[in-house]
Amino acid sequence: MSVLAENLLSDAVLADSYGAVRKRAQAELMRHGFPDIKTEAWKYTSLRALEKRSLVPGEHQPASPPPVPFDHHLLHIDAGRLLSDSSSLPSGISIEPVDSNRLAGLDYGNRGGAFGWLNLARFEQGLKVVINGRLDQPLMLALTTPDGHADACHPRIEIELTAGSRACLVQLDSSNGSGLVNAVIDLKVGENARLDHALSRHNGDAIWIERLDVALAAGADYRLVTLDGGGRLTRQDINVALNASGARCEVDGSVLIGARQHVDFHTAIDHCVGGTNSRERFRMLADGNGVGVFNGRIHIHPGADDSHSDLNTGNLLLSEQARINTKPELEIHAEEVTASHGATVGQLDEQALFYLRSRGLSAEAAANLLKTGFAAAPLETAVDDAVRQWLLANLGDWL
Amino acid sequence: MLKITNLHVAVDDKPILKGLNLEVAAGELHAIMGPNGSGKSTLGYALAGRDGYEITSGAVDFEGRDLADMEPEERAAAGLFLAFQYPVEIPGVNNAYFLRAALNAQRAARGEPEVDSMAFLKAVRESLKALKMDESLLKRAVNEGFSGGEKKRNEIVQMAVLKPKLAILDETDSGLDIDALKLVAEGINRLRDPARSFVVITHYQRLLEYLEPDRVHVLSDGQIVESGGRELAERLESEGYAFLESDAVEV
Repeated sequence: MSVLAENLLSDAVLADSYGAVRKRAQAELMRHGFPDIKTEAWKYTSLRALEKRSLVPGEHQPASPPPVPFDHHLLHIDAGRLLSDSSSLPSGISIEPVDSNRLAGLDYGNRGGAFGWLNLARFEQGLKVVINGRLDQPLMLALTTPDGHADACHPRIEIELTAGSRACLVQLDSSNGSGLVNAVIDLKVGENARLDHALSRHNGDAIWIERLDVALAAGADYRLVTLDGGGRLTRQDINVALNASGARCEVDGSVLIGARQHVDFHTAIDHCVGGTNSRERFRMLADGNGVGVFNGRIHIHPGADDSHSDLNTGNLLLSEQARINTKPELEIHAEEVTASHGATVGQLDEQALFYLRSRGLSAEAAANLLKTGFAAAPLETAVDDAVRQWLLANLGDWL
Repeated sequence: MLKITNLHVAVDDKPILKGLNLEVAAGELHAIMGPNGSGKSTLGYALAGRDGYEITSGAVDFEGRDLADMEPEERAAAGLFLAFQYPVEIPGVNNAYFLRAALNAQRAARGEPEVDSMAFLKAVRESLKALKMDESLLKRAVNEGFSGGEKKRNEIVQMAVLKPKLAILDETDSGLDIDALKLVAEGINRLRDPARSFVVITHYQRLLEYLEPDRVHVLSDGQIVESGGRELAERLESEGYAFLESDAVEV
């Protein structure tokens, strides 16, 4: 058994109503194993840092939900368990346990999907949130760990928007611990529903692995804006399936990577049928000896004619030692489609720095202004004013 | 105000300025003309402190301070302003924010308090209006998507807000139509002041028709080869730079 399997799995399958699901997931995981750098989707991200962690359970005070400067409905999940009072949620939001039949049908594939299987085997409390109608305020989903958390936790949340519903989901991932957070978020956006999703994450030493699976029905509209402030080891998978005609998604993100940090974003947008649209823009900034990985896959399936996609990734290396591996990946099996993509990797523009300094800004202030301007662009697409301002303020604090 | 003595500047080890002398007193406007490649832009960049424009010998005294010892931002705070020939686009940074940050950075360096927001906005709006630029420009990213003429006018807006002691304008007239040229000239004339000086680098005489230069200099092969009043500019306009080759020794 690998070091990771020894650390993360247990012989005793959790005994609850999901026993069969967990047993199957554990068996799949044992069969495939965890990814290593020979696994294509993990080529640039080593799990050594996780292997070296001794994950220890402990009694800790639950974290408080991080404050945000706008009114919101709160779902606070600490170490995988719901902490907030769900009785205060409005009638348009209901919470129920995840359906074990649905879980039984999930397939995370081979070792590339090991953490999906691991989550399924070990999740603490599967929550399903159903949103019906238009929410008057953003729904904040805070994923935290207790202070000093050094254990593994596996939050699992499903959110479903019924047909024609509209919501703004603000997700805040934060941990000041040194353990593993292995989250799976499943989003289902119903016919003609619209979900604006903002995801903000800033971690120190915790290892954060998250998988976001989004399924869009006909005419559904999904907009994700994400700001990642970096962490010791972060891996974010974003998979969006445009399952029916008229579905569209926009995925925008800025990722700030500092010294001794490693952040890996793997996105996959599947145009499963024709008449679907996607647009994606990611910006990464790496400083010190930080490492960034971005893999943006667009897959236009056979028969998905008249699909349109645009993918753009821009990257800034802020030091000699920083590294960014960026790759747009297009797989097109249909006719009459447009699929454009672009990738740039560069450094701060000397001419722009001089221009700003010639106006009186110090070298440091000039560099900061350029970095902020570069990273702010994807965040500007956030629709809700207060949410956008909050993301931009976070950007200012974290740069 | 500005005294340049025997200035030599090299770019990539190639000598560009080769013993330039120039003295500009407070309140004066000097024009520097010269053919392509004579070193006009190099002079602007060297004065503003751009990396790679190395002063190999000579001295530049700006109000009693040696410019060579100062960082670009220190020169700005001391009152030096360069209007760029090719203003740089700064994506994602809005004009109003940038301009206020620049002004406050200069004020902080001079030990002055931050500018009052309302007074700042009022000053910027007035400058924009004078240059017939739309206020929406304030919310747009610096120079991004601006036409060539808008970029040049934006330099004048910045100059009007930052109120330098010495402004160096590097071919601010190039690429402007006649209406924009007049607006730029008016923008310069509004700022004329007994305590403020200008060095206007230009290729053509036409901008000088709207300004009142105290001196006109001709720069050729890294040196000032001829100086005179505005009649010199007129002579250049009618005869071109060709006469330099025969007259150069007269300096």
